[in-house]
Amino acid sequence: MHTKPIIVLVAIWLAGVGGITAAVAQADDVAVVVSEKNPVANFTQPELRKIFAGEKRSWAGGQSIKLFVRAPGAHERAVLLNLLGMSESEYKKYWTAQVFRGEAQAEPVALFSNGMQKEALTTFPGAIALVNFQDVKPGMKVVKVDGHSPAEPGYPLH
Amino acid sequence: MRHTGTAILLLVVANLSHAQVAAPSEPEMIQQLVLQVKALQEKVELLESQQRASDPVNADAGAHPVNTPTLPAVDSNAPPASLIQELHELRGIQWRGFGEVDYKVLNQRTPELGTYGFVPGSHGNFYTGDFDLLLTARINDKASVLSEIAFGEGEAQIFSVDLERVLFNYDYSDHLRMSFGRYHTGIGYYNRAFHSGTWLQTTADRPLVMEFAHDGGVLPTQAVGLSFTGSIPSGRLGLNYIAEYGSSDTHLQNLAEAGIDDEDNGNHVNVGLFARPESIPGLQIGGSIYHDRISDRSHGPDARLGQTIVNGHMVYIRDGIEFLNEGFLIRHAYEQSSTVHNMPAFYSQISKQLHRVRPFFRYQYINANSGGFLEEFVLRHGPSFGMRFDFNDSIAFKTQMDHTKRKGRPDLNGLHLQLAYTF
Repeated sequence: MHTKPIIVLVAIWLAGVGGITAAVAQADDVAVVVSEKNPVANFTQPELRKIFAGEKRSWAGGQSIKLFVRAPGAHERAVLLNLLGMSESEYKKYWTAQVFRGEAQAEPVALFSNGMQKEALTTFPGAIALVNFQDVKPGMKVVKVDGHSPAEPGYPLH
Repeated sequence: MRHTGTAILLLVVANLSHAQVAAPSEPEMIQQLVLQVKALQEKVELLESQQRASDPVNADAGAHPVNTPTLPAVDSNAPPASLIQELHELRGIQWRGFGEVDYKVLNQRTPELGTYGFVPGSHGNFYTGDFDLLLTARINDKASVLSEIAFGEGEAQIFSVDLERVLFNYDYSDHLRMSFGRYHTGIGYYNRAFHSGTWLQTTADRPLVMEFAHDGGVLPTQAVGLSFTGSIPSGRLGLNYIAEYGSSDTHLQNLAEAGIDDEDNGNHVNVGLFARPESIPGLQIGGSIYHDRISDRSHGPDARLGQTIVNGHMVYIRDGIEFLNEGFLIRHAYEQSSTVHNMPAFYSQISKQLHRVRPFFRYQYINANSGGFLEEFVLRHGPSFGMRFDFNDSIAFKTQMDHTKRKGRPDLNGLHLQLAYTF
């Protein structure tokens, strides 16, 4: 019988599927990045929610948090909306309401590229942004979420 | 061997097809490419501008031919030009507007003035409600100014200007945010969540118990004074507080006859606590106690009473669901006698976003004591239902049907159509 080659091929196929799946998962992971000077090391998901919903507005040292988000259409934007449990329309309405309540001066600045997010992080020490893990550049400090780094099993933002 | 060859072929095809599924579709790929091209264009522009600025030859204006356009000098420490442009909205004065056009029909034979925000004394059906201009400005990272100017419609299309809110805000930290000026009191969730922006509301009007006093409501919805709020270190419970000290100046719309009752409020104290537990995102549970002294001129020129308003609320807003519940106990204790009136009120509202449509249902209840300060409100309760349709992110159309039972008076039915917008 020719069972041995078939087993080998099945193993190769499974390895291929697994590899692609792992690659997709890693490629889809979105990192939480802050300025290199920011001492924060880990966020829980509720903490991230509070920050990106504008409920938490200061870092531990008292410095103001500056939110930078990607413009609609970007993968990071979809991850942000999923984190907040909002649709694009609800997100816009939420921030209009936040401004109206006096809880925010304006909707978070929406940037069109991760390059611009990097510039924002280097310009503003209190900045925070979501960036595709594969687009993380030197100058961006990646912060763990729920104790996991991007591309690690259990990382929640993808 | 032939079977083995077939198996290899099948596995290769399976792997290829899997890879195709995992790869982005053509429109997604195009979108990604467009985004990448945009990003690269921006990057090139940035680099070019920085290079020109730092180029000593270009920096020397004398070295340029007469007709060569020159770029302004760029401070190497300043953020890139495109970023500055993006961040521009964080600086300067920001304007935002809210407007509405309403059509309302009530089947009442004896009109109540100011019922549910209806234009007092009007015999027509159309009105514009409040036209709101919201102005905000950041002074620095911690300080900001907010003002809300409302152009309200009175009787016979006579409009008045009202400074609904004017606040100097200072955020010392997440635990202490201070506001000074005229604010909407934190006597309940609704008053601080929706303010005067009809577009923000799911329903066409505010719940009766949360209606602005000048529109026929019963509570002190506005005041001048100090307001403090912030988070309390409480772990996963997510506790927040609110504390207010100020002067309300409530002028109640007299429902039974044309005129306004001035409550002549003294200073008030309002304290509240609410929790946003981390385990249930979107949930807020809280309550508050408000106290001040007011006048009841129907009981004599010097009749003063203590007004205490206890609120409890449970709100859930997430994944398109909006579930609002608030209960109130309004207590009036006359100082010259032992008379005490307790007036309960509540509303419950639920809605769900279904694409652009949001159907809603609300039930409200208010029970004023006979002979009490707010007796003209009597016992009234009933459902409202309808839907909100969002044409886009700025324009909404609402239809609402109301049925209200009133003690000792005929039931009241209403149809309310509203076009609400923000700009």
